[in-house]
Parts: sequence; C-alpha cells; structure tokens
Amino acid sequence: MPLSAYLIVSAIIFTIGVTGVLIRRNPLIIFMSIELMLNAVNLSFVAISSYLDSADGQMFVFIVLTVAAAEVVVGLAIIVSIFRTRRDIDVDDMNLLRG
Amino acid sequence: MTNLMLLVLLLPLLGFAILGVAGSTFSNRAVLTIAWGACGLAFLFATISFFSMLGTPVAARTSDQVLYTWVASGDFQLSFGLLLDPLSATMLMIVTGVGLLIHIYAAGYMQDDPGFWRFFSYMNFFIFAMVLLVSADNFLFLLIGWGLVGLASFLLIGFWYRRPKAVAAAKKALVINVIGDFGLMIAIFLIFKEYGVLNYNNNTGGNGVFSALNPTSSGTLLQTVIALCLFVACAAKSAQLPLYMWLPDAMEGPTPVSALIHAATMVTAGVYLVARAHPLFELAPTALTIIALIGGLTALFAASIAIFQLDIKRVLAYSTISQLGYMFMAEGVHNYSAGIFHLTTHAYFKALLFLAAGAVIHALDGEQDMRQMGGLRHKLKITFWTFLLAALAISGIPPFSGFWSKDEILSSLLAQATIHNQPLSYVLWGTGILTAGLTAFYMFRLFYGIFMGDYRGSGHSSHAQDDDDEEASHHTAGRLRIHEAPPVMTVPLVILAALSCIGGLVGSFELIGLARWEPFTKFLAPVFADVHTMVTASLGVQWTSTALSVGVGLLGILAAWRLYGRGFQYKENHNPLYQLVLHKYYIDEMLDAAIVQPILWFGRTASRLLEGDLLDAGGRAVAGGLRGTSAALRRLQTGYVRNYALAILIGVVLIILYYAVRG
Amino acid sequence: MTGVQISFFVLAVAGVASALGVIIFRNAVHCALSLILTLLFLALFYLQLGAMFIAIVQILIYAGAIMVLFLFVVTMLASEATDTELADRIPWQRWVAGILGLTLVGTLSYLLFTGTSIDSGAKATAANSLSHVVNTQGNTEAFGQALFHGFVFPFEVTSLLIIVAVLGAMVLVRKA
Repeated sequence: MPLSAYLIVSAIIFTIGVTGVLIRRNPLIIFMSIELMLNAVNLSFVAISSYLDSADGQMFVFIVLTVAAAEVVVGLAIIVSIFRTRRDIDVDDMNLLRG
Repeated sequence: MTNLMLLVLLLPLLGFAILGVAGSTFSNRAVLTIAWGACGLAFLFATISFFSMLGTPVAARTSDQVLYTWVASGDFQLSFGLLLDPLSATMLMIVTGVGLLIHIYAAGYMQDDPGFWRFFSYMNFFIFAMVLLVSADNFLFLLIGWGLVGLASFLLIGFWYRRPKAVAAAKKALVINVIGDFGLMIAIFLIFKEYGVLNYNNNTGGNGVFSALNPTSSGTLLQTVIALCLFVACAAKSAQLPLYMWLPDAMEGPTPVSALIHAATMVTAGVYLVARAHPLFELAPTALTIIALIGGLTALFAASIAIFQLDIKRVLAYSTISQLGYMFMAEGVHNYSAGIFHLTTHAYFKALLFLAAGAVIHALDGEQDMRQMGGLRHKLKITFWTFLLAALAISGIPPFSGFWSKDEILSSLLAQATIHNQPLSYVLWGTGILTAGLTAFYMFRLFYGIFMGDYRGSGHSSHAQDDDDEEASHHTAGRLRIHEAPPVMTVPLVILAALSCIGGLVGSFELIGLARWEPFTKFLAPVFADVHTMVTASLGVQWTSTALSVGVGLLGILAAWRLYGRGFQYKENHNPLYQLVLHKYYIDEMLDAAIVQPILWFGRTASRLLEGDLLDAGGRAVAGGLRGTSAALRRLQTGYVRNYALAILIGVVLIILYYAVRG
Repeated sequence: MTGVQISFFVLAVAGVASALGVIIFRNAVHCALSLILTLLFLALFYLQLGAMFIAIVQILIYAGAIMVLFLFVVTMLASEATDTELADRIPWQRWVAGILGLTLVGTLSYLLFTGTSIDSGAKATAANSLSHVVNTQGNTEAFGQALFHGFVFPFEVTSLLIIVAVLGAMVLVRKA
C-alpha cells in the first residue's frame, strides 16, 4: 500500500477528532476526540516510520502515548473536580469569560 | 563714589519675601516695621549713593556694577549689572523716597484692612520691581523689571479682589501693559538682531548698544521701528494715547496704590525708558516727532476729559495722563532732562494730590463723588492746605514746583518752533499752553468742589453701603463723623507739600537772569551729553512762553473760581458736546464695540465651531467608532470554548488551503 | 487485489466508522466503547505496518489502561447525564465544523495525492535500517535499541512528565 493511503486514513480520523471537539459538549467525549486526534497522528508516524524503514517514528509514537496518558490523567482529574462543584458537565455552561 | 544699588534693590525684595511668606502671622506693628524698614533703608542707601555721587567729579559719576554673568553663549555675553548714573540715581530717589512716604501714609489708610500684611508685601514688591527697572544696566533686565512692575500693578489694583470692578480694572491694566511688554520685547529682539548686544554701555560684562550706534546713518527704517516699538512700551506703561485706558480704571485700587502708580512708579517708567534709550531715539527723528505729537494729543485729550469728571480720583487720574503727555512732549523735542525734571516735580505734587484725596475719601468713609462733598476746609485743615499747594503746583503758578518744570518744557517747545520754524512745534506749544489753562481750571474746580461751599453729602456714603467690606470699616451706623486723618497720614502730606513748594527750585532755568542756576539739568547733563539737537531757548522765548502759560493758568483758576467759588453745583446738562466729554469721548464704549466684542464674538464662535463642531465632534466620532467597533468585536468573545476551538480550526484550514492553492 | 490491500481497506473503513461512532453516539459509554474499537483497529494497522511492539503497547496502554480510566470516570460522573444533553446553544457550529472538517480532509487528501511530500532519498540505508535490525535481532530488540541509544534523554523526561501528572492528578482530586 502507498504511504499516502495510510496518511489519508490518518487525516480522516484526525478530522473526525477535530469535529468531535467542536460539536460535542460533554467534556469526556471531547477528551475522547482528542485521543482520536493523537492516535491519527500516531498512525502517520508509524506509517512514515515503515516507509522510511527507520525506528525514529516509533519513538515518537511512544512519547505521544506517554503524553496522552499523562494528559488523560490530569484532564480527568480536572473534570472530576469541576463536577464536584458544578454538578454538570456541559462545556457550554463554562462561558463566564464572555464579552 | 559709593554704589549701594544692590542693597537698594534687594531690601524691598527681602521685605516682600518675608511679608509674603510669613506676613499673615505678624501683628500690624511687625508688618509695618518690616515694610517701612525695607523701604526706608532702601531710601537711605539711595540717598547715600546720591550724595556720594554729588561729591564725585562729573566725569566719574557713572558706575556700572556687574554682579555676575548670566548668559555666556559664543561671543554673546549678558551680565546682570546695576547701573548708577545721574539718571538712575534721580529715579531711585523718587521711587524710594516718594514710595517711602506712601508706605508711611498707607499705614494709616489701610489700618483696619484685613489684608494689611498682603498690601505691604505687594507694596515692597512694587518698589523692588521699579528699582530693578530703573537700575538694570541692560535691556533684558529692564524687560524683567518692566514685566514685574506690570505684575505688581495687577496685584495692587486688584487688591480688593472681592470687588468685580477692581478685578476687571486689574485685568485691564495687565492686558494693556502686556501690549507694552510685547512692544518692548520686539524692540529688544530688533536691537539684538541689529547690534548683537543688550547692555546699555560698554562695561566689564561686554559691549553696549549705545556705543555700537552709528550716528551718521540716522533715520533708517529699522531705527525708526526700534524706537517706535520702544515707545509702544512707554505708551502702555505711561498711559499715553491710545493705551491710556487702564490708568483711570486703576483707581479701583486703594488710594495709596493710586498714588504709588501715578507718582513714584509705573507711569514714570515710560518717561524713564525714553530718556534712558535716548541714543536710539536720537537716531529716529520721525519717532521723536510722533512721540511729541502723541504726548501733546494725550495732554490735551486727558485734560479735556478731566474737566467734567465727578469722581475726584478720576480727575486726578486724567490729570496724570495729561502731565505725562507734557513729559513726552519734552522728550520729543530732545529736552530729556526737562522731561525727567517734570517727572520729579510731578511725583511730588501728584503723590500729594492723591494722598490728600485719599485723606478726604478716608474722612468721608469711602465717598469719591464730588457731588457728595464740599465745605471740608474747616474739618480737614491740613488736607485743605496741602491740597491747595499741590493744586497751585500742578497749575504752574510760580514759585511752586510745577511752574519750573512745566515752563521749561513749554519754552523748550517754543524754542524748537521758533528756531526750526516748524508749524508742528507751534501747534504743540499751543496745545501745551491750552492744556496748562485746562489743568488749572479742572484742578481748582476739584479744589472748590471738595473744600469750598457747604457740605452736600447726605451723611453716610452710598458707596460704603454698596461695599460692605474693607473700605467701609470706618462706617459707624447712622451719621458720619468727618474727621481729619491721623498724623501718620498727615505727616507725609506735609513733607510732600514742602517738596511741592520748593522742589522746583533745583531745576529753574535761566529765567529772571539768575545766572544759569540750574543744578538739576547740570546734574543730568552727563547722561544726555550726546544730545546735540536740543535747542536752548533764548531769554525772550522763555519769557514769552512763561508769561503766557502763567497767564493762562491764572485765567483757568479765575474761571474755576467764578463758576465754582461758592461751592460746586452739579447740573444735568444734555448738551451733546458735554455728554461726549463727560463719557470720556465714549472711548471705552468704542473699544468695547470695536475690539472687545468682536474678539469675544470670535472666541465664542470659535469655541462653538472649532471646539464643539470640529474638535469635540471629531473626538466623539472617534470614540463612537471605537465603541461601535468594540461592541461588534465583543460579540466574538462568546465565552464558549468550542467557538474558540472553531477559530483555531478556521486558522488551520486557511493555512492548509494556502499550501493547496500555492501548489 | 492483494490481501494487504483488502485488509487495508477493511481496516480503514472499520477504523473510520468506529471513529465516527465516538463523536456520534449520544451515550458516553457507547462513545468510549467505540473509541476502544478504533484503538484496536489502529493497533491492527500498526501490525500491518510491521510495528509489533507499538501495536502491543497500543492495546495494553490505550485500550487497556487509559480507556479503563475513561470508562471509570464516565460511569462515575455521567452515567445518568449522558442522555440529557440540553439543547445546543450554538447549533450553527455543527454545520460550520462539518463543512470545515470536510474542507480540511479534502484539502489534505488533495495535497497528499498531488504533492511530493516525502523525499524517498531520506530512506535509511540498509545497514542501519529498521527492517535489517528487525530481521537480525527481532522487533522488540530493535525498538529497545533505538529507544535506549538515540532517545534516552526524551525517555527519561517522559518519566518525569508522568510523575508530575500523577502528582497533579492527586492534588486536583484531593478533597479540600
């Protein structure tokens, strides 16, 4: 398979993630969409790594995985603490910073 | 020769500083100690300088004391120096001497005024400013003194700052004086441009203007313009046409201030400047002619107004303007020492007239209207006699002081006319003679109005009831007790009366063949040594002129006696000519209509159009635009995080599209 | 059509479909399950691309650890709230996002098809190429060699990052 095929799949999944962030209001699902974007990027890394026959791309995937894990931990902790005070989890309710 | 000018200059300044800073905490006695002390010591040191000058050989009588270099820029150097020569010594004697007498008098006049300390601190300041003006040895410090004198007059005329009229008069004086200051500034700029220096004479601080002059090329346009600009300044300070208006209004100040302005300081500054800068004027014969003309016009014009005035201080104010006209006439025909001489004698008798008028006003509780006076000769004996002497002096009756100085001027005019056979000089001389008659008439009209006949006042002054403040402090409810002033006021009157009687003798001309006994002219001669154009009057001319002027003066007195000898009666008179003169030729009204109202209209229009419709509207438009834009932009800030994320996506898409389009 | 091509298209369709499921399902639990599916499909992609170690790690860490955490939080917080999303206050954003997303995908695809994106000259030489190492030493060894030779410092930094994240999470959810 040509490299561009994998990259297009990656681009499609990435865009789905972007669109998810933009249209969903549940912060948990927004997080999942972010994970989608990260994974789409991972796919292109692996594909390019395979294409160039080099291990470097896989190193980046590893680091991205770590970052994603850390991000999810902190993000979920924030969501939990917000939920404790506000009893709802719609991001549109957090709009106090409007003009 | 002892030169104590610095002390003369600094002592009044010190007095002003002490009184100005801490005066409000002092008792009246302490205020007087400082004010009298400052002025008295200044007078003392001026006197010492003066007499030590008398004991010096004539050639060594000029002492230019350079104190420090103020500006040193390239080859231009300007130092602050004090010039002591016969002219400034004479002026200093008048300023500090008459000033001291007025200080003493004011202690009685202002006794109960709550602004007592303020008044004396201003008075000291006035003396300081005038001494600076007179003693500066260059044009720049002259200008500083000139401006400070204007400021001092503003402060003192507006001394009763709660009276709108006094404030208006102070503003008027300041504005008109600033016109003069402007003229002086232009003149100084031109002098600097032309000669590159500002000192009067060569001294250790640099070269002088007068030695840079080139007498062979006189009458050029620039020289005439310089002289005329200087004269604009003189006309403003010395109240000549057309800048005289501030002086009558200056009567709103306390009477000692009027005396100070009219006699010792301020108005003499213009006469002094023409005498001081005479080398510049000598180079501009046209300017001198104009000065003589304006002097003559002013003398006649002011005298004619004085005839019908009812306010006694206003009569005196117009007489001052008229007498100053004489001085400028003398200077216009190169006889500078005669101008200064008349300045000196005028200082005596005009100070006396004002102080006597002040005593009358004081006795009548602030009443200044002649219709409310009369018959005061019994109540105010000292004032009566001193006023009479002063009136005789100003009317030019021999042997009082005014006679000597005025007739020197008049004979000088006639000599100029006969020798050069100029019709203009004949006219000027005639004007002088006519004015002499008018002067005698209005002075004795005033004299009879105040002191003769029966008392016409109602007993309590309407003036006092209008103004419930300072000047009414003597007001005791019910009928007024007319009383002679306390000794502190009458002693200066007596001293000035003595000076008015004999003060003229120092300057007599060779009339009656008294073998050229004219110490005053000889004393000033070194200053005016470079004036060669002055003509000396022959004995015949002198006799003619003198006989005529004394005759006209006596005629004036006689007319006044015929009309008012049994007391002044005021009759309404609707003769248009009379009304014209009574309203001072409607000059103030004309000025108001011709200058003040258009300027006000322009100001209002400009403030409405420029301020309101252009600048403010522009500002409002900018503000409105910003507010509208920000209100529109504000809507972008929705507060929804997802909207912001959308903005990021838009940016990303745009960047990707850019790459796609670029290919 | 070769087996590789068939498996690729099957995986691509399944991966995209399950990814769409993440953003379409209303119930957060369904979304999470759909995300797990996507991650599994991606792991299969990695296998297909010869990245065995990454595929295993993907399943272990992502599908295993991270998604379990997700599901835990979802069931704890939002089990009853997932179906009761209020009316969208910015409904137009849906359409704008959709159009922009399509534009993005279209443009990217266009660029990928037409552009000379990657220089094939950058390919590793035979001696140190990944396939050579994998063939001689095995996949995990190859990965370990690369990680601990060239990427030791970033690797150590990730450990620091994880410690900070753990501490941060503890501080954030601690009861005041």
